[in-house]
Amino acid sequence: MTSSRSKSLPDIGFMTVVESAEHGFFGGYLVLNQTGRPLEFHCTAPVRPNRAQEILYGPTLKPYLYGEQIGQTLWSQTKNVPRIVCTDMAEILHVRQFIACPVVLLGARGDLPLDTSAATDTSRLDTAHAGTAPPHTDQLRSFRAGDYALAVPEAYPDDEPFVIQQCKLLGASFDLHEPVDRIRHAIQEAQLQ
Amino acid sequence: MTNDQHYTAELNLEASLLATGWQTAIQRKPSISLRTTPVEISIPDVVSIRFARQKIDTRSFCFAGNDDNSPPSVVRRMRIPAPPAPSSPTCKEPTDRVTRMRAPQDVIKLKDRLFYALQPPLETLFTSESLAFAFPPFPYQMEGVAFLCPRQAAMLADEMGLGKTMQAITSIRLLVFSGELKNVLLICPKPLVTNWQREFQMWAPELPVATIEGNGRRREWLWNMPDQLVKIANYELVVRDADFLKSSNVQFDLVVLDEAQRIKNRSSATNRAVRGIARQRSWALTGTPIENSSDDLCSIFEFLRPGVLRGDLTPRRLRKATQDYFLRRTKDDVLDELPPKLFRDAQLSLSHAQHESYTLAEEEGVVRLAGLGGEVTVQHVFELILRLKQICNFDPTTEESTKFDRLAADLEEVAASGAKAIVFSQWVRTLRRLKSRLQTYCPLEYHGKIPHRQRDGVLEAFRNDPRHQVMLMTYGAGSVGLNLQFANYVFLFDRWWNPAVEDQAINRAHRIGAAGPVTVTRFLTFGTIEERINEVLEQKRELFDSVLANREAPRTLGLSQDEIFGLFSLTNPASGQHAA
Repeated sequence: MTSSRSKSLPDIGFMTVVESAEHGFFGGYLVLNQTGRPLEFHCTAPVRPNRAQEILYGPTLKPYLYGEQIGQTLWSQTKNVPRIVCTDMAEILHVRQFIACPVVLLGARGDLPLDTSAATDTSRLDTAHAGTAPPHTDQLRSFRAGDYALAVPEAYPDDEPFVIQQCKLLGASFDLHEPVDRIRHAIQEAQLQ
Repeated sequence: MTNDQHYTAELNLEASLLATGWQTAIQRKPSISLRTTPVEISIPDVVSIRFARQKIDTRSFCFAGNDDNSPPSVVRRMRIPAPPAPSSPTCKEPTDRVTRMRAPQDVIKLKDRLFYALQPPLETLFTSESLAFAFPPFPYQMEGVAFLCPRQAAMLADEMGLGKTMQAITSIRLLVFSGELKNVLLICPKPLVTNWQREFQMWAPELPVATIEGNGRRREWLWNMPDQLVKIANYELVVRDADFLKSSNVQFDLVVLDEAQRIKNRSSATNRAVRGIARQRSWALTGTPIENSSDDLCSIFEFLRPGVLRGDLTPRRLRKATQDYFLRRTKDDVLDELPPKLFRDAQLSLSHAQHESYTLAEEEGVVRLAGLGGEVTVQHVFELILRLKQICNFDPTTEESTKFDRLAADLEEVAASGAKAIVFSQWVRTLRRLKSRLQTYCPLEYHGKIPHRQRDGVLEAFRNDPRHQVMLMTYGAGSVGLNLQFANYVFLFDRWWNPAVEDQAINRAHRIGAAGPVTVTRFLTFGTIEERINEVLEQKRELFDSVLANREAPRTLGLSQDEIFGLFSLTNPASGQHAA
């Protein structure tokens, strides 16, 4: 992997998962340079949990799949290590335990402070997986960076000031929400082939 | 009676012992017999499920970063520094317009398709690259840029007046900054060369532009100049240098043909010459891709993508074969985005003969005015101005006119789209010259020399007879009281003294109920009295706008006497002030 830590402006990663009723879950991970141009893109083959996983993981299934399985796999492919990874899904925050890079949850536009209720709907603490628990509402640190409502896992308090600092380095034209749409389009494009 | 009270009663019963034999039986030891019964318990089966981390297949794509794909150094040097980033990032509103590039159909490799799908919206690219615009582009123009940028072969066939030039230049600019273009050739008709120079200056001021001109040796030197990122050449020169271009190592990342209908004849020298230029990308700009038959389109496609079209294709197949290379919008298509009036400034250079006549007339005129000393009046200055303006229209000796050349090119496009145009001049003589040269369009005249009893008939013919596509009018006769809203194009062949009079003339075509926006083309020749008058009027208008924003300019925003003297750096004897 080539580190980009020496750069004055950060490369920034974006990770999301697209659910397809027909195929399963597709993971997508995009690394952009400071002007928003793509440096690398990785996507997974569709992942479909089996019935046993659905029953036994229960509400922790998505954090397990998104964070541990898909997120970790995507991260392992990265060539340009970004300063931060942004995601629009609370379940993906789970990947933070496996990577040495802050992972930040983007609140919906206009969410001030970040509404983390969505996280509780999809990610419940499960005693059987206490060591790798999905973020609960009270396990997220919500904060603002400029106009953005953001959150990081409570277990990584140092991520908050770091993310704020990195956000300040981004140009005014950089829209943190927009690249996630690109990943979705790219996954659609890849599916067509 | 309570529980603590007791009562005693005596029973009179006899008791005696009887031998039962039970005693012996009690003393006898019991015998115990043991019987074993086996109990069978089955061991349950255990199903173990291990959730090991499963291997997930991934596909990875890496794209060149800026370090590998940067614009040429000459552009970087001229680059406008980026505005300072705000101290805190701004969350974009979802209503902000987003224009995305899409991969063309002929891009097959997934990596190449993803390259386009993963590019930021154009709006983000322009901001992040600090690429400012002279004017904010219309959304349909951004769509045009998104169409051109990813294409190796493209035809932009927007209706005249929608800004094909701006869209092409902006696309070139974007591709230069992304490092995808380093050597561009723009070929256009000769009268449009100065217009392209000016448009490049306006829309891409960072790009170094060279015009191919001069004798053979100079042209050869210009063709080989590596630092001139954009080269502009006219069709005639390209034909003349065709052999050199074919045999030399000159090749281009992109060749753009303006007024591409010029190569509609496949066997013409022009068509052969442009096809012989070595290039990666080929774009064509034209408002009239089909003038006579589908062969016109096929000939242009021989330049764009040889082999894609055959002349015997049915219209439906032709449309299908070209649809991914072809973008055309009419004013009706983008009506909601357009203002009611679109202004285009056609800034032209005088021809060689015109320039000589003009210089001589001006020098003699100024000497004469200076000789008059205190006797000079505004009338004397007026006479000189009128004389010079007439030379800007037509050379008195050779009849050359760069304005006419440009008008003829534009009218060709107007007529091909079935629209009608009004041409304004302040002189009947100029209109008569135009009439003799524009017979193809059956022009009508409407000016002071047309008897009043004939005028209604002229208007009726222009309105109802499709053969009459051009109306020639003087400002005085055509500026008041007429409704000509069926004309979508207005050309101001020469300019009036007062913008208010021009506005009245334009409003003949633009009236409430007009079918669509009116495109107004204002002709102006560089380095002449026309340019100086225009500068003074523009300054006054800007001053008015800055002081009294949102108000309509007054009707009297013309030239004062001092300003008229000032056009020749003369003092108005009546005021005693030296005009700037």
